[in-house]
Amino acid sequence: MGGATAGRPRGFSVAWRRHKEALVLIAPGALVLVLAFLFPVGHILVLGFLGEEGVSLEHYAAFFVDDYYLGVVGRTFRLAFVITACCLLVGFPLAYLAARVGPRARILLILLVILPLMTSVVIRTFGWLVVLGPGGVLSDFLQAIGLTGAPTGLLHTETGIVIAMVQVLLPFMVLTVLGVLQRQSADLEEAARTMGASFWRVLRTVTLPLSVPGIVSGSLIVFALSISSFITPTLVGGVRLPVLAGSIYQAATGSFDWNFAGVQSTLLLLTALAVIIPYASLMRRRTSWQTGAAPGAGHE
Amino acid sequence: MISGVPAGARAIAVIIVGAVVIFMLVPLAVVVLSSFSASQFLVFPPRGLSLHWYGAVFGDQAYVAAGWTSLKLAILVTALATLVGTPAAIALTWHRLPGREILAGLFLSPLVLPTLIFGLGLLMVYSIYGNGPSFSGLVVGHLVICIPFVIRTVGAVLGASDPSLHEAARTMGANRLQAYWHVVLPQARPGIAAGAFFAFNISFDDAVVALFLRAPGMETLPIRIYSQLEFSPDPSVAAVSTIMIVITIGLVVLIDRFLGLRRVV
Amino acid sequence: MGRLHGTLGVALAALLVPAIAVAQEKTLIINSFGGSYEEHHRRLVIEPFEKEFGVRVEVVTAYSGDTLAQLRAQKENPQFDVVHLSGGLETIAATDGLLAPIKPEELSNYGDMYPFAVAGIEDGIGPMYSTAAIGLLYNTEMVKTPPTSWKDLMQPELGSHLLVTDAASNTYGMLAMLMMNQVNGGDLGDVTPGLDFVKQLLDNGATVVSKSPEIQQNFAQGTAWIAAYAQDYAFTLTSAGLPVKFVQPSEGAAFAPITVNLVAGRPNRDLAVKFIDFSIRAEASAGWAEALRYSPTNRTVELSDELAAEVIYGEEAVAKLVGFDPVQIGESRGEWNEAWKRALTK
Repeated sequence: MGGATAGRPRGFSVAWRRHKEALVLIAPGALVLVLAFLFPVGHILVLGFLGEEGVSLEHYAAFFVDDYYLGVVGRTFRLAFVITACCLLVGFPLAYLAARVGPRARILLILLVILPLMTSVVIRTFGWLVVLGPGGVLSDFLQAIGLTGAPTGLLHTETGIVIAMVQVLLPFMVLTVLGVLQRQSADLEEAARTMGASFWRVLRTVTLPLSVPGIVSGSLIVFALSISSFITPTLVGGVRLPVLAGSIYQAATGSFDWNFAGVQSTLLLLTALAVIIPYASLMRRRTSWQTGAAPGAGHE
Repeated sequence: MISGVPAGARAIAVIIVGAVVIFMLVPLAVVVLSSFSASQFLVFPPRGLSLHWYGAVFGDQAYVAAGWTSLKLAILVTALATLVGTPAAIALTWHRLPGREILAGLFLSPLVLPTLIFGLGLLMVYSIYGNGPSFSGLVVGHLVICIPFVIRTVGAVLGASDPSLHEAARTMGANRLQAYWHVVLPQARPGIAAGAFFAFNISFDDAVVALFLRAPGMETLPIRIYSQLEFSPDPSVAAVSTIMIVITIGLVVLIDRFLGLRRVV
Repeated sequence: MGRLHGTLGVALAALLVPAIAVAQEKTLIINSFGGSYEEHHRRLVIEPFEKEFGVRVEVVTAYSGDTLAQLRAQKENPQFDVVHLSGGLETIAATDGLLAPIKPEELSNYGDMYPFAVAGIEDGIGPMYSTAAIGLLYNTEMVKTPPTSWKDLMQPELGSHLLVTDAASNTYGMLAMLMMNQVNGGDLGDVTPGLDFVKQLLDNGATVVSKSPEIQQNFAQGTAWIAAYAQDYAFTLTSAGLPVKFVQPSEGAAFAPITVNLVAGRPNRDLAVKFIDFSIRAEASAGWAEALRYSPTNRTVELSDELAAEVIYGEEAVAKLVGFDPVQIGESRGEWNEAWKRALTK
């Protein structure tokens, strides 16, 4: 570490020495973050404020008076809420199970949940297209059990988007909740149980309240990731169900309106930050902002 | 298993696990099975069975070259991301920096920001201030999206360990380097390994940043797949994906061998 | 197996070419569109060019939209010498000053081209080295009476078996929309009749797709019966064994330009122009028709009767192609896209 060459300034306060060491440690990462991330992103964001002649809010005005774009934002948030709720509904029991079974079974459950994340988004989505499409696996299945007579499918529906997105985002929920549940001692539940409380009662009055931080932070991260995905919603939802991230992509590569892409990017970024900052602080308070959701690999 | 779980809850657990197994694995199974198709199309169920498409992948210069590019890229990115991310994680976990919360949020923000905004921005910056996209430019782009994972995994392990050990080593006269080398790094090792695993995986799988930073002679495997899907989708795409899935599983096994999965996930 | 041999050929050529290229350090950077298109591109143009001129051509796989995005981002410092663009993006790029004009006398093949194919070269819009006709595709097994007019798309009983291609992200889709607009009384100044027509199709249950593979998927699964799309793609589907036929509607088919363009602000202009001239040779044009059923833009191309029937060939047939003013498309496309998105969104 470069800090070692600075000698040992014994005269300095302990606090200062600590900061200095920390700053040296953090410098390379900060450099990458600033030059290769904040700067380019800033570049795009600035575009949103550049009009024909200098700084202007015209692109923002164009966005906010337009029912179409407000509709896009509405759909984005609606989908994100539903996706988050579904992840929670499936993810909590799964995390609870993973927390209370033996280590081998736990590993298997975790692997099961993170496996889809390890595949490239294009492939994963392709899989869903074949499953959800007309004449696809789901359609064949429904026909086989006699639920429908004709080929059907969930492609180009919001339900289809939710299904495909929950598959990718479920691990973020499960791992975050699992992180909290694992720190919770099972003894507490055991004690409540020996005192005569039923399983469901213990779950409701002991486990669930103690898991709230995990549930909240899991929900925040799922929400943030779901509003910022575009490949899956675009491919599964089709052009008739646009979402914000897809709309940015369209503005940037379809209509080449980089200023407008900048406006939408800014709004998306602000929303994401509004969600991620409480998330980060929540995780920090649990002295564990680092845990959970680590295997975000492969998410768009 | 804890005692006193009612039959109803056990039944629900079985149903949920069963449903999740199907839900998580069916789309992947579809991809894998399609790769053995004898047909020209990516249709399911595959019509006829053959290994033809695997032969096509290995016989295709473009796929092979893209595979090497992706491998080189991922290895380089993994090395750099762990080198840069580990110290940052130590600082964010053990040092009481003012505004640590916000700093942590900033460091993790590449995780939640749509990669497309970042990819587009990076392309602009490279073009305006440099010579356009290049291999090293792509390395930097991937570095940005991989570092947060190293910070996370290393931070998780360090957060669970005891900073006072490090303090103790220092009080006992170890210099900074010694303290980091002998005390901190061994403690952080499972986190570093996990971070490296994720970094490799992300870099190897990324399609979005690579899409924006395309340059001559550096097509990555996901971009190759993307091109193939756009213009002439045939089961070779499924075959390549299956190979990529196998590589990932191989990595998981490897990390289990050397570290034990339990310490990583 | 043919595919494998082709690949082997490419690999061998790749081994041989550097040996020649070492002697001369000249390199040209171009884009191509990936997949089998790129394979044919290498075989028909790129490799013969390298051999003839003793230079090296580096190929980046990037579609028109991505290429234009990269050109824009690299305006100060473009990486490409020559770009292949399609569907009106060349006009946008030329208007933005990203492309350089070419004089007719610089192209030895200029005189052999149909006038529409070289109309824009002095404004920076490169020559069309081939073109795709946009008409109707139908499933010969499911459709008893083949469609003959754009208006035949309006059959409520088709339901979701009718495919409408997204006009915002797909140029073929946009051209199909413009044709529907034209036959319903609209023009480039007013696309409302076309959009209304599409809205009715959607009310009938039509499926909207945005990328070619989705069309292939739908025909392969048997869920698509009729689609408005390109002639070359019909060939892609038939050569994959699908029962699909292309029809040029009675009102005419639109043509989608595929152009080879000179990038502005690059040092090796001479070589780049040579490459462009090389791309519009009759041999190349004939090769594209044979390989992928793109219609030739070079009038000296000779095709067999069999082949001629599957592309738009000969003065008479070419005269029936409907062209839309690329400049006006360039100007209005953003507006149309917005209107199109609104018409489509549920």
